[in-house]
This record gives sequence, structure tokens and C-alpha cells, in this order.
Amino acid sequence: MSISLKARWRRWINRRIPRSDSQVLSQKNIFILPTAAGVVFGFLLLIMLITAINYQNSLIYLLTFLLGALFVGAMHQTHRNLSGLTVDVVRAGEGQAGEDISFTLRVTAGKDAGLGLDLSVEDSSVAGVHVPSSESREVVVPVPSAYRGYLRPDRIRIETRFPFGLLKAWTWLRPVSSGVAFPRPIPAPDTNSTVMDGQELLASSPVSGQDTADLRPWREGDMSQRVMWKRFARSGQMIVADWQGEQGSPHWLDFNAFPGVDAETRLSYLAWMVLDRVQKNAKFGLALPGDAIEPDAGALHGERCLRALATWGEQPPRDADGQPFGTRQLQDHPVVGGSV
Amino acid sequence: MRAWLTGRFSFRGADAEPVQAIPAPALLWLIASFGLLLIPQWDRLPWWLIAACVVLSAWRWLAQRGRVKLPGRLLRGGVMFALIGVYVATVQGRFTVDTAASFFVLAVGLKWLETRSNRDFYVLFFIQVYLAAVNFLFKQEIAWALLTFVAIGCLMVGLQVLNAPDVPESQSAGWKRLGGMVLKTVPVVILLFVFFPRMAPLWSVPLVSGQARSGISDTMRPGDISNLAQSSERAFRVTFGDQPPPYPERYWRGLILDYLDGETWRQREADGFRRPARVNNDGGVGPLQSREYDILMEPTDQRWAFSLENSVAVSDNVQATPERLFRFNRPADSPVRYRLEQRSDEVGASDVLNAADERRYLQLPATGNPRARALAQHLAGDLAPVELVGELLRRFRQEAYFYTLRPPAMPEDGIDALLFDEKRGFCAHYAGAATFVFRAAGIPARVVVGYQGGDAGAGGEYLIVRQYDAHAWVEVWLEGRGWVRVDPTAAIAPSRIESGLREAVAEEGSFLENDLTSPQRYGDIAILQWASLQMDRINYQWQRWVVGYQGQSQMDLMSRLPGGWGLRDFGYATAGVIGAALLIAGLVSAVSARRGVRRDAFGRVVDSWHRLCAKTGVPVRSGETPLALAERLSEAHPEVAATARVFAHAVNSHYYTTLAPEGSVYDVRRLSRLLNRMKRQLRRSRKSTFRNPEND
Repeated sequence: MSISLKARWRRWINRRIPRSDSQVLSQKNIFILPTAAGVVFGFLLLIMLITAINYQNSLIYLLTFLLGALFVGAMHQTHRNLSGLTVDVVRAGEGQAGEDISFTLRVTAGKDAGLGLDLSVEDSSVAGVHVPSSESREVVVPVPSAYRGYLRPDRIRIETRFPFGLLKAWTWLRPVSSGVAFPRPIPAPDTNSTVMDGQELLASSPVSGQDTADLRPWREGDMSQRVMWKRFARSGQMIVADWQGEQGSPHWLDFNAFPGVDAETRLSYLAWMVLDRVQKNAKFGLALPGDAIEPDAGALHGERCLRALATWGEQPPRDADGQPFGTRQLQDHPVVGGSV
Repeated sequence: MRAWLTGRFSFRGADAEPVQAIPAPALLWLIASFGLLLIPQWDRLPWWLIAACVVLSAWRWLAQRGRVKLPGRLLRGGVMFALIGVYVATVQGRFTVDTAASFFVLAVGLKWLETRSNRDFYVLFFIQVYLAAVNFLFKQEIAWALLTFVAIGCLMVGLQVLNAPDVPESQSAGWKRLGGMVLKTVPVVILLFVFFPRMAPLWSVPLVSGQARSGISDTMRPGDISNLAQSSERAFRVTFGDQPPPYPERYWRGLILDYLDGETWRQREADGFRRPARVNNDGGVGPLQSREYDILMEPTDQRWAFSLENSVAVSDNVQATPERLFRFNRPADSPVRYRLEQRSDEVGASDVLNAADERRYLQLPATGNPRARALAQHLAGDLAPVELVGELLRRFRQEAYFYTLRPPAMPEDGIDALLFDEKRGFCAHYAGAATFVFRAAGIPARVVVGYQGGDAGAGGEYLIVRQYDAHAWVEVWLEGRGWVRVDPTAAIAPSRIESGLREAVAEEGSFLENDLTSPQRYGDIAILQWASLQMDRINYQWQRWVVGYQGQSQMDLMSRLPGGWGLRDFGYATAGVIGAALLIAGLVSAVSARRGVRRDAFGRVVDSWHRLCAKTGVPVRSGETPLALAERLSEAHPEVAATARVFAHAVNSHYYTTLAPEGSVYDVRRLSRLLNRMKRQLRRSRKSTFRNPEND
């Protein structure tokens, strides 16, 4: 019952506040309720009224009415604090999955200033934003991310309790743009690219002999052909020889280079490799099933590759009722009992 | 000095971190309002409690600055137990409103030590708001009320600072915002105050105070009233329907002392059981009739009401007694207003005194004061009662009796000593002695205690009767005439009766000699006197119209409206006021929201440009960019082409590039300059096109 109520409430809100990267706050989308302190204040006024009645004290009546009127005035003030603001998504951020991804919003005040604004997504928030009248401020809101992929917060809450903290007015911005959460980098095992670059193949002739091979312990994902079985028989240690000559082109980072590893881990490996190559300022390309990025170097290229990794196999979120933490949950946890 | 310094430095421990959760200015406002709210309580709180509150809030402030640490749980508990222990020791199980109020203050004081979060801040805020209400129970003068409202203002500003601490100039902006809100809400507050139905108390809560009130008491020992003579506190204020009676006739009867117990006069039957409840404050309404008078009495914690002779009750809250005195149903624990009418003829005069009353008013102790008794016997032998009274007064007038505020001590047979040896005394001594002599001579007599006199308040609108006007005189029963007032003081010191105590003791210089702060003491400094009277007038009106606005006066106010208004109508009116206020607030916000959404100054200029284009035959197409519109305008009116293009570029650069905020004002000015230039150019070209056909 409560779930269906909650769902209905959410649907109602979503109808009321359509997805948009820019929203002008007005009566249509501002909600206002007393805070806990406001409720206590109400009770206090009631007690004071009873005191005034019982002691027939005109001044206590006067004080009660004054505070009550101030409470109503505060309602007006708190509402006006949000009303007339324009909130735009300036930049949906990018970052690593599992970390907070910065969304940059611009809050522009109309005739009235917006004081003591609190912008929040889920648990993370930015408090104490003040926008003087007819000025604008850029606010960076950290959005927590869990999975790689498109990240579109369902709602960004903009709240204010100014002036007295007895009432809170809030609204939600439901952005259209989505940020991107890159796969979390995991140090990848050294592998060959399966993509053979013709020129590279010609240039490097296969070399045999232990001199040119790097020996290292076995890691998950290493091909069994490379394990030095003789050595294993002798010592019981799984040693892998990395034959330089045998490798595919090291300039290509290849999705298919990690047999037996699931797709997400592969993407994490690749992300690590991309960061590694960018750091070494190496030239590299990225090969993904259905997508390939030609070899290049530099930070921009790296970002492009990371973006491709992040959104591989993902559709940009289009549904009106987005899920928190991005779009991946739906795919990972198909709806049970839902007719497809 | 050195020890103090080292003590300070050791106090400032290395681990004393500033407690920063609450912004410092907000805390300061909270402390300030606490201080202001304590001021009206200064005379009813024990001194140690005020000291403790100062120390505790200072401790909190120093902790905020990082000078000291807030106490840990153990120390806090220790401080709490110590203070509560002192409190319990001071209170000793008496439960009065005073002790409750001081416990309340103690709770606030202790709360300072654990004010760390916003939540604690709100707790203190709520407590202090209620403390303000408690203040109003005790102090209702306009100055105290203003002080309390200022304290509430401090609290509200503190809340604003708490909720947005880093706004520049948050303090002054906070006061400004609060002032604006108060101004906007004042009409509603006034309407609510007037129309909110004043119901009867839901349950009866006595305002029992442990504090002694100054005022006359129901026992009279030689020397008692001369204490009062040193007080210039107000006893009551009177407004008359027409002219007040002349000064010598202003005898305010309060109570009758009819039983002489050794040297002490007291009431034979003290006022009966006093049910703990509030005094009825509905003192009648409407304009005063010609012989009516309206008294606003300061609280006495007693049931007696003061009245002129031959008065009858007009308001319901006082009842007449057989002695022609007036009594409230409950002790006057707060200022109370009542209304009486003075009749020209004698009220309640009866021709006979019944046997019980005769015994009562002839009562004397079995022994004591033999010379006074002998004098009475001697006089009674020769003279009829009327002549005897005259003879005693003549004796007072002609022999060397003195009226003084510094009488000598007369421990044994005080009446004899006063009449025959010292011959120096105060009104109470002479009244007691005269009553003694009359009774010894077989004339029924009684001591009346009350006030005599009263000075005009500012503008002569009302009389102020002060404690130093306290007086005692005698009433004797004369066959055929009933009770007759006899005032020995009038015979000894006529100036006391004709112009008051100040004149009577002018030579002695003892008028208010112990009360250096009283403005009445400096009666010869005109400006001081004037200021004091003006202040009193303001307070009097405040008391009558605001503090004293109770059910009866509400009913009266409303009875002047067409249609009789009942309590229910007031309820409807209140609901109507609240509803209308909310509706108006809603409408205002709706209208301002519609106007203010996008229409900033810049948008307004762009709008008027659009209107100008439409007027000149180039209506704006939907989705058209400013540049495209400028191009079309240029085609239609080549004379504005350059200006229009610059204008369009300015609009574009405003909306599509990020500018420094202060650029926007400049932009708007520039834009409206450009717009005006366009208008001028269009007008000039239109003129020339009009002129051209004429020229042809």
C-alpha cells in the first residue's frame, strides 16, 4: 500500500515537474511545509494562546498573534525565496563510477534574492547558496554514482528554510542531460591485442628466446598457452612469459583481449589501460565490439575513449521516470513478474 | 593580577576547540535576547540565579570563541546539581508563580552549556519565546512590553542568521526583513487582537506571588503607614466623569479597623477564605456618566477596592459591604479596573446602630492608656457626643501637636504618650488615639484606612494616587447623623489634607527622603515632573486600552457596531480575518509571481523593443532570433539599421555568454539607451515623411 502510494506520489510529482534542463520556479512546482521546528512552534503558539486565555493577559494575546502572523509572513517569504529563481543544468559531469560526479547548475535569481538555498541529490548536498536578486551563481552538486554508464539524477532537490527555519520550501529539477560515469579502473593484465595492425606486424618480427620475454606470475585472464608449464611442473609456480614478439599491436586496447572475463571487468581493465596510456602519453586506439576509436594521444582522446567505455552497450536515458544512480539498475535487475 | 593571568592561561586548555556548529552572530543574538528577557524579572529572581545565568551564557560565548571548553558530561551534571540544589534550598517547597518562573529561567541558563547544534538553538528559541510570555504575566507597563518585543526581534534575527550565516550584512538585512514582515502583518495582528473572542479562562490558574506588594495593610501599629509615606509608587489612578472633587474631599476609603488588640488596630473579621482564582478585570465600559469615576488599581493581592464616600458600584466586579466599603471577589493579583458612582445623598445611612455593632465599635482592651481614658471620662461627663468630637479636635488644633514623619518611639501606653507627652505623630497615631478616646467616652468609632489626596496626571485627565497618600482617619457614630468622618490630621496639619504630604512635611524635609530615584521627590524640577507625568499618561492609556482589553471592553466596542455581536460572531470574525489575510497574501504572491518570473529589467527592455517593432510594421515571428528581427527591421526602416544591429548583438551577448553579474545593470542601461535612440530615429524619419508630402 505504502509503496503504491509512494509510486503514485512519484508519478504525480513527475507529471507536475516534467524533465527539463532549465526550470523557472513558481507556484506550479514549489512545495512548502513546516519543518519539525515549525510544528513545535505551532504547538508553542497554541500553548501561549491557552496561557493568554487562562490568565486573561492581553499582551500574551498580542505576542501570540504577532508570532502567528510572522509565521504566515515567513511562509510567504520562504516561498518567495524560491519563486522566480531559474535553475539550469550547465554541465552534467563525468567521473569514475562509485565516486561523486559533479553536475554544474546555474541558479539565477529574479526580482527576489534566493538566500540559504540547499541543493541536494540523494544524500549529497551543497548548503548555503545565496543568489542576490537578478544575479546568478554556479553551483557544483556532487551526484553519487554506483555503476558505469549514463548518470542522470532523477531529481535534484532545491530547498530553502530561510528566513526562520520554521518552514521549508522545495522543488525538484529533473534534468534531461545525463552525466557519464566511467568504468572503475582495475589494473589490467598485460595482454595482446587481437587486432593486428598490418604495419606493426611487419615491423616486429617474432623473436624467440627467454631474453626478450618478461616473466611474471600468472594472473586471471592470461592465456594458458603462455604459461610456462615446464616451469610449473618443476616448481609448482604458474609463470607466464610475455613474448614481445607474439603480442598484437600494443597500440590497440582491445575488448576481446581478455578471454574468460566478463564484460564489465573488461571495461574496467580497458579504463585502467586508457588512463595508463594517457599518463604515459602513448598513442593508442580502442577497439570495442561495434565501436572503434582510431589511435591517437592526449587527454581529450583519453576522455573520448573513457566515454566510449562508459556508454558501451548503454542507451542514453530516455524514460521520464529515471532511476536513481543512473540507468544500469534496470538492466541488471530485470523486473520480476513483469510481462515483456 | 599575575595569578589571574596564569589562571586564565591554564584555563585555556590546548584542547579547547571553538564550538562552531552555531554561527557566532546567531548565538550572540540569542544571548542578547536572553539578557533582555531577564531584565523585567530582575526584582523577582534571586540574585544568585541572575549571576548564574550571566556566567553560564558567558561560558557558552567564550566556548564559541574557543577560549574555554564546553563542560563534559560530568562537569555539566555537577553544575546542574549544584544550581538545582541551591534552587531547592531557596524555594523551600513553596510553590508560587515566582518559583516556577525562576525554575524556568534556571532551565534556560543550564541549557546554554549544551547548546551545540541547530536543534539546541531552536530549543532555546522556543523557551525564550515562552519566557517572554511569562514576563507579560508580571510586567505589563509599556516600557517592559517594548523591551520584551525587542527581545523577540533579537530572537527572530538570530534565527535568520542561523539559517543563512554567510550572507553579507546578514544582521542589518535581517532587521530590515523582520521590520518589513512586521509592518505587513501589523494590520492582521491588530484585527486579531480586536476580534479574537476573549473567552473565560479554561481552568482557573491563580497568579500566586510570593512577593510582598507595597500598599496599606490590614493591621495598623504606630509607625506602619509612615513606611508607606516613603514610597512614590502608584496606588491607583482615577478618571472622573466630570470634575474631580476638591483636594480636601478626596478621601479614598479602603478598609475599616475596628478591633484594638493591645496597641494594634486590626479587622475583627478578616476577609474570608480566598478561593485561588483570578480577579475579574471587567471594569465596566462606555463613557463615564457625570458622577461616575473609574479606578485602575495596581495589584494589591488583597480584595479591597478604594472608593469615595457615598459611592455605589457601577461595574460588576466590586460588591458593597455593610460598612459601605467595596470588595473584589478575588484578590487583585493584576492591575484591575472598576467603576463607581458617587451619590450626592448619603448611601445606606441607617438611623440606628444595632446592639452587636454598638458593642463592636465600642470595643477597647481591658487595660492600658489610663490618662486617655480619664480624659474621655472627663469630657463625656460635660459634653454631648457632637460637642465632645469638636472639643477633641479643638484640643488637637490648639495645643502643640505636631505632624511628623519621624515620630519618637512610644512603646508603652502609646496613646497616652502621644496625647500628653510627645505630641508628635503621624496620621495613623492620631487616628488611633482619637478613636480610643471616642470609644472610651462611649461614642462608637472606627479607624478608616485608605488614601487621601491624589495629584492630577498629565493634561489633568485623571488623578494619580500614590502610596505616600496613604492615610488613616476616624469615623464616629452620631445619633441622627449616622457615621461621620472625623480627621484629627486635618486639625493638626491642615496642609496635609488640603495639598498633600509634600506641603505638610516641607519644613521637616522628610518627603521621600529615602527614595532618591523617584521623580516625585524632585517636584520643583518642572521638566522632570512633566516627563514623569507624560510617561504615566502613556502607561495609563496603554493599561486601559491594550492591557485591559478584556471580554467586557470587547463586547462594548462591538456593541457600537450595528447588530449585537456575541462570542460566536467574534469567532467568525477571527476566522474571517485569518482567511482574508491568507487569501490576500496568496493573491499578492500569485500576482507578483506572474509578473516576476522572467520579466527582469533586461527582459522588459527586450519586450518593449518587440512592441516597437510590431508598431512599425515588423511583428516578431515565433522563434526568430534578435539578429534576424534586427535585419528585417533594417529592411523596413533603413534609418535604424545600425542601432538595431547593435541592439540585437547586445541582446545576444547578454543571453548567450556568461557575464560578470555586475555587467547586467550596465547592459540594461546600454540596451535602453539603444532602444531610445531607435525610437528617436524612427520618430525623426516619420516626421520627415510627413513633412515631405506637405512640401510637395
